[in-house]
Amino acid sequence: MAADATGKGDPPEASAEALPVEFRAATKRYAGADRPAVQELSLDVPAGEICVFVGPSGCGKTTAMRMVNRMVEISDGDILVGGSSVRDRSPFQLRRDIGYVIQQTGLFPHRTVAENLATVPRLLDWDRARVEARIDELLELIGLDRDLRDRYPAQLSGGQQQRVGVGRALAANPGVMLMDEPFGAVDPINRERLQNEFLRLQAEVKKTILFVTHDIDEAIKMGDRIAVLQEGGVLAQFATPAELLMAPADPFVEDFVGADRALKRLALMRVSDIDLWEAPLAFPGQATSEVRSKLDRAEISHALVVDSDRRPLGWLTDADLGAEIVPKKPGTSPEPILELDDVMRDALSDLLQAESLYAPVVDGSGKLAGVLSVEIISEFLNSPDALADEHAAAERPLADA
Amino acid sequence: MTAAAQTAASTIAQLGEDFFQERDDSGCVAENGTFCFDWAVDNFDRYVTPLLQHLVLVLVSVVIGFAIAFGLALLSHRRRWLVPPITGATGVLYTVPSIAFFFLLLPITGRGFDTAIIALTAYTLQIIYRNIVAGLANVPESTKDSGRGMGMTDRQLLWRVELPLAVPEIIAGLRIATVSTVALATLAVFAGAGGLGEEIYADLTFKTNVVIAGGLAVLMAIAFDVLLIIAQRLVVPWRTVRPV
Repeated sequence: MAADATGKGDPPEASAEALPVEFRAATKRYAGADRPAVQELSLDVPAGEICVFVGPSGCGKTTAMRMVNRMVEISDGDILVGGSSVRDRSPFQLRRDIGYVIQQTGLFPHRTVAENLATVPRLLDWDRARVEARIDELLELIGLDRDLRDRYPAQLSGGQQQRVGVGRALAANPGVMLMDEPFGAVDPINRERLQNEFLRLQAEVKKTILFVTHDIDEAIKMGDRIAVLQEGGVLAQFATPAELLMAPADPFVEDFVGADRALKRLALMRVSDIDLWEAPLAFPGQATSEVRSKLDRAEISHALVVDSDRRPLGWLTDADLGAEIVPKKPGTSPEPILELDDVMRDALSDLLQAESLYAPVVDGSGKLAGVLSVEIISEFLNSPDALADEHAAAERPLADA
Repeated sequence: MTAAAQTAASTIAQLGEDFFQERDDSGCVAENGTFCFDWAVDNFDRYVTPLLQHLVLVLVSVVIGFAIAFGLALLSHRRRWLVPPITGATGVLYTVPSIAFFFLLLPITGRGFDTAIIALTAYTLQIIYRNIVAGLANVPESTKDSGRGMGMTDRQLLWRVELPLAVPEIIAGLRIATVSTVALATLAVFAGAGGLGEEIYADLTFKTNVVIAGGLAVLMAIAFDVLLIIAQRLVVPWRTVRPV
């Protein structure tokens, strides 16, 4: 299968094909421990997907991940990468073909950014010109300024260091990447940014990624699939984020996913995924009597003033309605204006922050698409089939973005 | 032991006699004030050979000491159980009083350069070994983990990651070892190996002599220290970079 692409002589950059990872009752027992750290773990990670291992500390998620590149040796069972057992290769050869990112970045402090990026290519004995070319490619891929090439890690910000860590793991274009809490040591604001950046990068490179975190929100955001592990390395549930939120397999998963799982679902959708309300519209210069009659029949008790391109100008107040015609600048501003691409959770947060019950939603060109209300969201959360659309992982980059 | 002590005593007596013959009793020499400048200028050339001997004693013993300590450190790096016995053994060597060390060796290796080098080398082992071991131990676990995770063999990890990161501690050990060897080598005269000690003990009563010979030893120690600091800056640029 895909493993053939890594045949000798081919430049490794060309072997970018992602490889599936299959756990076959993989078990890790440590001498002296009364129960396994990972117990008969069986799951398939399809090529090109992000699989997140999540669970409380001591659940064996890191151990499970480290068995893939034999940083932890498997006691029983097997793990297949690209269809062949990890045991069939020397650990050193195996690891050079698998990207590896850890929490504290593990960058080499005595080596420059370029030298760090070149680590695996040098272990693979690439010639100098090829290494240099790859370094330039990587800097561009991770969005790091070329001027930083000869800096030492201590001269970079935490976020930049983390990017170099990811770039270094991608250097030899591995089919599989292992990431152990890669954004764990970064502050929340930067973490959010690095996560989004990484998802954008993944959309480009499409690696098979095993991602370890203890943070369920991160798991929901990053994962195509999530493996929830519980103490003793037992797999509690393996499912897509939406499935996990909708139908937790047992009380442990339900508890771990959290009481706010209804809200978490909102992180998986965009405003465009929901049926919006139609607002009674008014146009500047229109007679207010017309608007009043429209209002009697509408779901919303206020009329939205839009310009000739249907861009929202504001909400008509009672004082505005008292006048003869609709003004150009109504009494209440249209803020907050939401976009169809907004993540539902952020949209709700904007609504609550503005203390408004509803807000106009516009499309990419600023044209009114409808009105989102707190009421629609709450109805949506109560409808069981609302989440069937599993791939709507909303913070994923848009295809055309 | 007594024979050795007698040899050493007679060495000093002999040196003293030669020295006095060259010392005329004119002016400030007879006065024996803090420093007799005229005499120093006239007699400076007599210190050149001892100075060079001293330099060779220090260099040879530190280089051999480093080679042995480095070998021991690598040996015990992946065999942690070896660290306590090696630290203990080098520690015992370090605590032997230095003059006694020379005298203990005299019956075995005889008088001369080799005896002095053996003793001086033995004193450097403890400091250098401990610093190399500490330097290797201080390499962050996450750095080693990422190196292994990327497919480095133990040997590649050692030479490409662990040792380079241990360099600051290793150089710190070399600085201490070198400076203390410069001081200890003034006692090499008791092993019959010359050096600045020969001049110091030639006439301990003549202050100008003691100031010159002792001063040269101090200058040598400072020079070695400065050189090693410069070497560290060159070899470890990543330690001195400023965040930009």
